[in-house]
Amino acid sequence: MKGIVFTEFLDLVEDKFGLEMVDKIISQSKLESKGYYTAVGTYSFSEMLQLLQNLSLNTKISIDNLLLVFAEHFFSVLVRDYPSVIASYKDPIEMISSVESHIHVEVKKIYPNAELPTFTVVEKCNDYLSMIYKSGRAMHYFGLGLMKKTFEHFNTTAKIDFQKIKDDGTEVKFIIQKIT
Amino acid sequence: MREEIEVLQRALERERFARKSAEKILEEKSRNLFTISRELKLTNLHLQQLLDEKSSVLEGIFENINDAYLVIDLQGNILKMNDIAENLFGYNLNEEQLNFTDLIYESDKEYTKNSFITLKEKGSLSNYTIRIVTKSNKIKWIQINASLLFDRNKKPKEAQGIVRDITAIKELELQKEKILHQLEKSNEELKEYAHIVSHDLKSPLRSINALISWIKHDNLDKFDENSLKNFELIEDTLSTMDNLISDILEYSSADADSSNQTKVDLNHLVLELKKVLYIPNHIAINIKNKLPNLVGDKIKFQQLFQNLISNSVKFIDKEKGIIDIDVQDKNTYYQFSVADNGIGIEEKYHKKIFKIFQTLNKNKESTGIGLSIVKKIVNLYQGDIWLESYPQKGTKFIFTLKK
Amino acid sequence: MEKSLKVLLVEDNLIEIMKMKRTISLLKSKHTIHEAKNGEEALQFLEDKSNLPDIILLDLNMPKISGIEFLKILKADDDLKHIPTIILTTSSNQKDLLECYRTGMSGYVLKPLKYEDYVKKIETVLTYWSINELIKI
Repeated sequence: MKGIVFTEFLDLVEDKFGLEMVDKIISQSKLESKGYYTAVGTYSFSEMLQLLQNLSLNTKISIDNLLLVFAEHFFSVLVRDYPSVIASYKDPIEMISSVESHIHVEVKKIYPNAELPTFTVVEKCNDYLSMIYKSGRAMHYFGLGLMKKTFEHFNTTAKIDFQKIKDDGTEVKFIIQKIT
Repeated sequence: MREEIEVLQRALERERFARKSAEKILEEKSRNLFTISRELKLTNLHLQQLLDEKSSVLEGIFENINDAYLVIDLQGNILKMNDIAENLFGYNLNEEQLNFTDLIYESDKEYTKNSFITLKEKGSLSNYTIRIVTKSNKIKWIQINASLLFDRNKKPKEAQGIVRDITAIKELELQKEKILHQLEKSNEELKEYAHIVSHDLKSPLRSINALISWIKHDNLDKFDENSLKNFELIEDTLSTMDNLISDILEYSSADADSSNQTKVDLNHLVLELKKVLYIPNHIAINIKNKLPNLVGDKIKFQQLFQNLISNSVKFIDKEKGIIDIDVQDKNTYYQFSVADNGIGIEEKYHKKIFKIFQTLNKNKESTGIGLSIVKKIVNLYQGDIWLESYPQKGTKFIFTLKK
Repeated sequence: MEKSLKVLLVEDNLIEIMKMKRTISLLKSKHTIHEAKNGEEALQFLEDKSNLPDIILLDLNMPKISGIEFLKILKADDDLKHIPTIILTTSSNQKDLLECYRTGMSGYVLKPLKYEDYVKKIETVLTYWSINELIKI
């Protein structure tokens, strides 16, 4: 997993819960990197999983909710670092439906080794979109957060539901209805 | 307080190590970048050399081909042309702008428009022939082979064409057509003329014949035997004259007439001739090998075999006459033969008999034209004719016809 | 029963006319012959619609209006085109033959060399047309 995800995550933890919480979850986790994260590095996904689990234990907030909040924060990182990609879209449904065909393609150009989830569009019209998320990391809440922020970014709202196709969350169907 | 300090110390330590590891990663990346950039520079250099090489090859072709070469944009504006094109059109692009469509001869413009559409649709155009008007107002025939040039996105950008000046060829072609037409016309006139002459010569013969016949019948009791014999001789002479006129007409119309070319079954043709011609009972005609099919004028083939068979029939003096017709396949041509067991011809006459009006035996049926017609027809089909003959034994005419 | 025919002979040659006349008298037939020395004279004769011939015997080679031209004028005339016209000629020109058939002739007879043969041919032609039902106006 890309270093920027770790550094942004820890920045957010520090911002919300203080430096002590950062120190605590790093100490509680068995990290190969010892927590020396840099945005340009690459680290094992299991480290992120441990950090999330320990944060959840210490804060009594579910991992899913933590991911949701983190995703919302991460969207602003993307807006900050890749404004041109986001500016090329005029409509949130357009942007979300082309995650796989455009945005991930761009990501792969910069990080050829990045392991990305897949998003397959099932049905799409002007104000409705359904797509299937697939990833061994079961981080669909992270996706949900990004989607919510996308609608906010375009000053629109939407009702976003999802159904787990597999119980472990590695395959999830998103149903997005734009509210006009 | 102490705990807070420890937390801060650990945070600081993480920052320091993170910075160091970041520096290490970045240094590695920059080293990689340096290597890549050096490789890129080498590749670029190589590509540049390749481009230079290809450009100079193309430049060479452009300047050295014997045909005019030009590049136009999709509106027809000429962007580039070689020296030959400049000489052909009489324009210099350095001095003036030129649109290809302005060069085209007025009545060929519509055709050009359609050809240009074809070029755009199919991507290429071959042997498209039009007239152009050069700067010095000369009309020239040109033949163009053109193809589209595409940009990076495979959109047609320009068109290139090789232009050949075919004015001389075209003029020759037109001249040939004209001459052929004239020849056809004069042939037709000649044929018509032959018919008129034949008619005008034959009419008096008919008149003489009628008058003689009347004099004879009206005064039958007044003439002695000798005079009646002389009347008969006059009638024979008239008959010879009439045959002669018919044969001359036939000979003069035995010229090439490509309009009647069909596949002719020669075997069938000869079998039909056997039925139509007068063959005395004591003469047998045998076809030794099945005769082939040949493309040509049926009437001429008929004349050919008819004259040879009649000739043989005429000169058979034996009790049992035999005429053998045969053929051999010689790849590019057929070799035919018509052999009889007649009186034969001495060798010194072998060449002479094919000449017009040459007849060795004076009799009223023989005008000396039949074999001349045969030779004319054989020559028409790029063949040859000769004979093998021994006096008293018989004669074998051998001739070839091209397949 | 053979009918007697009213024949128009279009012929410029004096001896040819004599041949025809002698043939008719020789055959002792009741056919009547009207002669015209050229196309113009024949057309003049044909102006009298009360005296139209049953058949026309036409020589092809004539001065001024040729036989073929005469045939064309005849076949273009509604009052005359029904008259059977037989060509008499010495020329076996394939082109003429074709054109006469196209224009609408009723027969094409080659004049033989011998007068006896001529008599036989003319007799056959006249016999043939005299047993035909002909249009009378």
